[in-house]
Amino acid sequence: NFRHAPPRTEKMAVDQDWSSVYPTAAAFKPASVPLPIRMGYPVKRGVPPPKEGNLELIKIPNFLHLTPPAIKKHCAALKDFCTEWPSALDSDEKCEQHFPIEIETVDYVSAGTSIRNPKARVVTLRVKLSNLNLDDHAKKKLIKLVGDRYCKDTDMLTITTDRCPLRRQNYDYSIHLLTVLYHESWKTEMWESEKTEEDMEEYIWENSCSQKNALDTLLRIKASENVSNVTEEELLASEVVKNYRNSVIALKNEGETENNVSQYKESVKKLLNIQALP
Amino acid sequence: MKWEVHEGEHGVVTLVLSLKMQVSISDEPETLYKRLSLLVKGHDKAVLDSYEYFAVLAAKELGISVEKVHKPPKKIERLTLLKSVHIYKKHRVQYEMRTHYMCLELKYLTSSTAAVYLEYVQRNLPEGVAMEVKKTKIEKIPEHIQEPVWDTLPQVEETEVKS
Repeated sequence: NFRHAPPRTEKMAVDQDWSSVYPTAAAFKPASVPLPIRMGYPVKRGVPPPKEGNLELIKIPNFLHLTPPAIKKHCAALKDFCTEWPSALDSDEKCEQHFPIEIETVDYVSAGTSIRNPKARVVTLRVKLSNLNLDDHAKKKLIKLVGDRYCKDTDMLTITTDRCPLRRQNYDYSIHLLTVLYHESWKTEMWESEKTEEDMEEYIWENSCSQKNALDTLLRIKASENVSNVTEEELLASEVVKNYRNSVIALKNEGETENNVSQYKESVKKLLNIQALP
Repeated sequence: MKWEVHEGEHGVVTLVLSLKMQVSISDEPETLYKRLSLLVKGHDKAVLDSYEYFAVLAAKELGISVEKVHKPPKKIERLTLLKSVHIYKKHRVQYEMRTHYMCLELKYLTSSTAAVYLEYVQRNLPEGVAMEVKKTKIEKIPEHIQEPVWDTLPQVEETEVKS
């Protein structure tokens, strides 16, 4: 029977409701889409083939069911199920202040023989140490315990867990690790008193070789000038020694910058009273 | 769910079963997501462009702030295989698989809003497109980390350490 009915496109009005023609995702039907589309490789000295019987148009996923008015209708119906973000937390710093812990999880959506993805069980916990209740010793011990997982520049501790088969178990394990680290770092063991100078994270001037040498030199200078015996505490409290101490600490902790080195030079000149040299 | 009368075109009147979804409110506090990062991967750039328009418009309509939309560069995986089943080593054929990416970053969502948006956007994922969603949840410090527990424990006599 070669007398087919005319396609539906001829009966469509210009202002029809398109979301009732394509309410859900469907294949491209040339008789239902009133657009003069051509797709495919053009015939020699010709144009791309028309839409009737065009496999290329059927193969490609189309978004005819998601036109802007359709999206707006869907969103208007879905809006009832959404909740507002609390207006008090409008910046990252406020979120950080009230909710310091960040948990990162990844979900994977893809088509295949299985919907599961083994990477989905990884949980990453991030927290800034300044938000935890730690004192000086506890913070240093925690950083030593944790090693590579702490970033000094951003003061962020990152714990990544994936040893358990389920995401909830990994999350519980990461919270357990954080709890254990926190409580262990507040404990002081007996062997911690054997901490040597190599283990120190930052340079402390009191009871160091630099202090002994400086005091030694000053005492000898005073002795050679035959001044009455000045005590060590007086020397320590004097301005020149304090200056020297600050410049040495800055050099050791922050590294050698122009500022630091010139400060050290000035303090040494004042200490040894050699102002004449440039 | 109930039957409703629906006036169609050309004066056609039909009975339609309407599925108006019920909103239920629970008392448990919502989890907050500081950032939701959607990475969409596909073989066809045009499909990803249309999907980006759809996802951005859906986010705007639902009142979600879009931080940025960027397109990481595509990755091409190439294989060189023998053209023939047996011998003919000098004649090969080359195939390539192109993966285009599109990354959409959303800020400040509650768990209900995130669930609604993700379900809507994932149900309308086109065929042949994959998605990875990275959620960053923010939480308060749990109670057992507020104070060190050693201050509150009663004085226990030291037990002998077994060597």
